[in-house]
Amino acid sequence: MHTLWLVIQREFVSNVLTSRFMIGFIVCLLSTAVAVFVQVDDYEKRLVGYNAAVREAEAQEWDLYYNIKPRTHKKPNPLGIFNVGAENFGANTVTIELAKPVFELTFPIMGEPAEKRGADNSFLSMFLTIDVVFIFKIILSALAILFAFNTISGEREDGTLKLVLSNAIPRDIIVLGKYLGGMLSLFPIVLISLIMALVIALSSRVTAFDGNDISHIVLIFAVSLLYVSTWYLLGLLLSIWTKTSATTLILSMVIWVMLTIVHSNVATIVVEKFPPYQSKPEAEFVRSAGDVWDQFRKERGTYIKRRGYENLQDSISWEPGADSEKTNRFVTFFSYGMHELHLLEGYIIRDVHEADTSIFQEILGYQEPLRIAYADKVEEVLNKPAEQRERNAKFADALSRISFADVYHFAIGAIAGTDRQSYNNFIQDSRAYKRKIVEYLKDKEAFTSRAWFSNDQGAADLTDLPVFQDRRLSLSESLSRAYIDILILLAWNVVLFMTAYVSFLRYNLG
Amino acid sequence: MIWQIAFKEIYHNLTTLRFALIIIILPVLFVANSLIYSLGGYGYTAQVNTYNQQIAQNRDHIENLANKGLAELALIGPGEISRHPNLLTFCADGADKLVPRSVTMQNVGMLSRAGFDEFVEGYQWIPPWILEYPLQNKGGNVIQRIKIDWVFIGILMSFFAILFTFDAIAGERARGTLSLMMSNAVSRGQVLLGKYLGAFVTLMVPLIISILINLLTIYFFGNIPFASEHWLRIFGMVGLFALLVSIFIFLGLFFSSRVSNAITSLVWLLLTWVFLAFIFPSLLGTFVGNLNPIPSVDEVLRQKYAQLGQLYAEYDPFNNARDIPPKLSKAASAENPKATRLWADFLAKEVETKTRFSDGHIDQQFKQVQLARDLTQISPIATFQYAMEGLANTGIVSYMNFVKQARRYRQTFIDFIKAEDQDDPESLHIYPVREGLSQKPVNLDAVPVFEEQISYRSVLSQVGLLVLFNLLFFIIAQISFMKNDLK
Repeated sequence: MHTLWLVIQREFVSNVLTSRFMIGFIVCLLSTAVAVFVQVDDYEKRLVGYNAAVREAEAQEWDLYYNIKPRTHKKPNPLGIFNVGAENFGANTVTIELAKPVFELTFPIMGEPAEKRGADNSFLSMFLTIDVVFIFKIILSALAILFAFNTISGEREDGTLKLVLSNAIPRDIIVLGKYLGGMLSLFPIVLISLIMALVIALSSRVTAFDGNDISHIVLIFAVSLLYVSTWYLLGLLLSIWTKTSATTLILSMVIWVMLTIVHSNVATIVVEKFPPYQSKPEAEFVRSAGDVWDQFRKERGTYIKRRGYENLQDSISWEPGADSEKTNRFVTFFSYGMHELHLLEGYIIRDVHEADTSIFQEILGYQEPLRIAYADKVEEVLNKPAEQRERNAKFADALSRISFADVYHFAIGAIAGTDRQSYNNFIQDSRAYKRKIVEYLKDKEAFTSRAWFSNDQGAADLTDLPVFQDRRLSLSESLSRAYIDILILLAWNVVLFMTAYVSFLRYNLG
Repeated sequence: MIWQIAFKEIYHNLTTLRFALIIIILPVLFVANSLIYSLGGYGYTAQVNTYNQQIAQNRDHIENLANKGLAELALIGPGEISRHPNLLTFCADGADKLVPRSVTMQNVGMLSRAGFDEFVEGYQWIPPWILEYPLQNKGGNVIQRIKIDWVFIGILMSFFAILFTFDAIAGERARGTLSLMMSNAVSRGQVLLGKYLGAFVTLMVPLIISILINLLTIYFFGNIPFASEHWLRIFGMVGLFALLVSIFIFLGLFFSSRVSNAITSLVWLLLTWVFLAFIFPSLLGTFVGNLNPIPSVDEVLRQKYAQLGQLYAEYDPFNNARDIPPKLSKAASAENPKATRLWADFLAKEVETKTRFSDGHIDQQFKQVQLARDLTQISPIATFQYAMEGLANTGIVSYMNFVKQARRYRQTFIDFIKAEDQDDPESLHIYPVREGLSQKPVNLDAVPVFEEQISYRSVLSQVGLLVLFNLLFFIIAQISFMKNDLK
């Protein structure tokens, strides 16, 4: 135990005294600081937009049931300061309208349910976004490699390796000691960079981390250490396998550039260009959406006929003596999305106080839930392109996972809750919210109530309308999402360590 | 003497591991690049077909309107103005997906109002077209990633330049060969230049060979018709590669002579490279949004609707205020020039308001991007990227040029309509109201056609900047080597 400690100490001291340690430390701190400054600013901007949107939504009031339009807002994630991920991606507001499906297509349409609000300049997204995790991914890995590359091959060149081994120190102690010593010198760099990031983030007026966030940050720290350790072990292994430290250095630098920068981009672009899951063009889905609405119209028509009326208008009976000359007392207005992606209908009945609408209300009680059900069907159709995109993206992710730099990135994204999955969850939650609203209206028997289309006998009572809650994941939930990536990183560590260990035991000093 | 040193360097380099790695990696990347960009569903040929279809459709649209009469053409507008697909996207992708492919100059449909008692005449009118830029509020539906284009390979080349030079001087000093060499009758400048040339040739030869492989693959499999002008641009890009590689060789020599051991030199170089290639350009890009904030899309829309609302309240074309006869109570007609003029006032104001907001907002966005780009040019890698994009005519600057030209075309088109209208003695010459303009058909060939002109002027300043970087780094490398302690 004592010898191990000696080896660790020696390795640590020899690392810390080098200029690369100082330079690495300063650069890592500096770039983390700058990245956090920029990201805090970005987060503030998102938060201001979110708060404004929520205030605006709270002020909104509806007096008729049919035209309620509550919104869901994606709450900016404070952990986005560490890993932006998909925070600025896609929509941040979904407008819930009862007969409007919630979908996302790649081309812009008027009256889209999911939209980006508060965006000022989408052209700026041309610039890559840099955050703490990106800095760690690139710079910490480089540092780990630079610390590790001459641990064995360097000592061998200097001739000190023979001296060390001529002592009564077992080889496994040397490998373990060198690994732990190297990690011990990298540890403060990771720790202090993260602490500084945290301090800068907290110095902003708007950021507030709760206990849950802090526990997530601790987890981010642990996974970052695991990541750094992977790189260090890779460098150590290469240092054992190669004869001179110059060779180790060049080899590990090229591997570094490939794994951190080239690989994931190649994987993503190849999948983008040659998607494994081919999908029909979006226009075809749009067409089938139109067909679904046609079915709805047919079904509704049959129902009204069965009730013995020619059309909706006939089901309203007017008080005797009412001015029968007046036409156009019943106005239907429609709003179709492009090629009938959604079908919104509303009714205005003029002089409604003279009208007996009980049958009309009954018909609505049948028709409106039907319309909502059809909107769900349309939603299913229109969702297919997005599902296809997601499957392709997942495939690209799987390919990217060959590089442990990307595994690290995915793990952090899952922990911070800023990955694509979290974005998809927001859209899913918005759909769930819509179902909740439908249930709420059913409970209130709103579909058959007069307040559905007219407020002459009292406006719609929406006092206890459910409010959308953007939920954040707890630590265990995040862990359950990130555990595969963490396990992959762990496995890499074990494999690399075992290989380095065995290789060094069989190492030929000659 | 310089060449002797250079040859020695080249021979030395050829036997190293890094050279072996570079001659594997470069061709692989270039072939990957050619396959990614020339094959696949979104190839150039497919894009050209779509483009030609769009152009033909638009021509039909104009012909149709021209036959109906000048007034229809004047109000419904020349339709969609598309950009020609870009052949050289594989050289510089320039976030092409984020850049819109077209702008529209077409109105949305007719508006009408019903008559009301004797105050208000029923009327159906065509709101005139305005130049509209495609909806950009999706916030970038793609997470931006580095593309495997030539620019990216250029970034890697700068990395390789570092790998080839970090130990050029520090290494020789450590081995003790530096003082041996300097004991000959050779000046330090010559040694430096020799080393520079050695590294330059070793890097450029595999690069040029890989580029040739890349171009051959695209030429034979990609079904892309290169014109002589394209070859010239590609030649220019090779020049840009040379400038970039050269900058990083000088940088490498600088650190290598400055620092006592090769590892420290590499640490410095590596971190400098990461900063110049990724951190610096990206941080500035994100930062400019906060440095020079502009209103959000929603805010602009809100203001626009507020102003339009005032306009509508003043003229009340739909007669919403039922009891008060609106300003536009009479319908525009050839027999009623006074009413027609009032309608022209209203419609012109509406067009002016809408145009002011959409033009103004996109100008603000462009200004932000331009500022970010100007700032990032402190990094030679960013400068290289922009120069490549300029030569390939991709990226945001090409879109800015396109928008500028589209605006010029907007004026040309309006001028054409007014000039044609002047020739018709029966017309009231009131623009932009249907009843105030000539109803006679227009000769299709006389209608101005949009033609995109590509300007390479912006590239010049970037090339100048790259040359300047070269000079600067040459001088600092030279000075640092002159002051170098051989021991």
